[in-house]
Amino acid sequence: MVYIATFYSHFGAVRFKKICEGVGMKARMMPVPRDLSSSCGTCVRYEGEEPCPGGAYSEEIEQVVEKTDSGYRVIYQIRDI
Amino acid sequence: MDTRKEKTMIMIGGLVIGVIAALLVFFGNPANMGFCIACFLRDTAGALGLHRAGAVQYIRPEIIGLVLGSFIMAVSKKEFAAKGGSSPLTRFILGFFAMIGCLMFLGCPFRMILRLAGGDLNALLGLAGFVLGILCGVFFLNKGYSLKRSYRQPVVEGAVLPVIQVVLLGLLVAAPAFIFFSEEGAGPGAKHAAVAISLIAGLIVGAIAQRTRLCMVGGIRDVVLFRETKLLFGFIAIFASALVSNLVLTAVTEGTYFTAAFAGQPVAHTDGLWNLLGMLLVGFACVLLGGCPLRQLILSGEGNSDSAVAVLGLIAGAAFAHNFGLASSGEGPTMNGKIAVVIGIIVVAVIASVNTFKKDKA
Repeated sequence: MVYIATFYSHFGAVRFKKICEGVGMKARMMPVPRDLSSSCGTCVRYEGEEPCPGGAYSEEIEQVVEKTDSGYRVIYQIRDI
Repeated sequence: MDTRKEKTMIMIGGLVIGVIAALLVFFGNPANMGFCIACFLRDTAGALGLHRAGAVQYIRPEIIGLVLGSFIMAVSKKEFAAKGGSSPLTRFILGFFAMIGCLMFLGCPFRMILRLAGGDLNALLGLAGFVLGILCGVFFLNKGYSLKRSYRQPVVEGAVLPVIQVVLLGLLVAAPAFIFFSEEGAGPGAKHAAVAISLIAGLIVGAIAQRTRLCMVGGIRDVVLFRETKLLFGFIAIFASALVSNLVLTAVTEGTYFTAAFAGQPVAHTDGLWNLLGMLLVGFACVLLGGCPLRQLILSGEGNSDSAVAVLGLIAGAAFAHNFGLASSGEGPTMNGKIAVVIGIIVVAVIASVNTFKKDKA
């Protein structure tokens, strides 16, 4: 599975990427795809079976989507965005 | 939409924007100033009496159009979302000093590209400073800089700046006695395209910038951070199309729209060091803000009240710059302006440090 996580800050993405890599997931930072958001922040694209590598979604994560053939499927979204 | 499509869309958007910018000069805007967010906010501040520099007072319809173009596009695409609360006062200060840097250089990053496209070689020094400033900002981003998260807000909060633009349009059209307009021949404020042309140009560019997320800071930042050239291509496309348009206009009209030189450039000075330092301040402050002055206007149109506060900071900076002799002129920078830029770099560095190192680390 390919997932994309978006964040409130660039450093949130830096931290999350480290967590992904810590559990052996392939992860890279990139600009948020236009289809996902009109904001121009940093996201992490990561691959694996588990969408939540750290065990729980941190407050820095805005949303997590799974990349599908037809677009994106929302896996997690912080409540008040 | 894949990355390739995004890149194509941005390039087409940039090409269109470059042509529009060149045409605005043809229709009456000051030379190399089809668009300049800093200059236009400064002119608008002057029109409202926030400063009394008679040469630069006019409610610029381009600004109104940019915000409303973004607003209309965001609403139609269901992307309008009122949010804010991410260190608004800090953003105000960053906007303030970004404007101090812009008025040292005499232009925002958007005008820097347009100055290059008009052959103004002084803008090369500005570009060098801009890149250095962005590198400073990226250093802090990678070390943990954050102004904390934003929160959902009532729709009204996100709509305030677009509504203010409608009010400004009303004031521009009605031209009551308490609004200041530069008199004919007084300076850049007196040079402008017709209201409808400027407004439509702003609306189109605002809509394009909302769809493409065009950002002068983001282009260079993303190359440094991710080796991602998408936004940079928008930047390059604006330069290329404005350059070609200027050359064509020079060939087919009686005006001169391109002169490659350092000296004698319109609304510009030749002090390389302060052109560089001014834009260094702009690049640094704008990375910390998350986007260039154009991007702040576009985000304001999408309902981002943090960006609206940054715009207010830009306006306040413009008023200060002209009330206290900080803004440069064609004759060069002022001593007050140099001191303000140095203070600005220090303040922005302190803001960056405080919001980077005083928190938990990974």
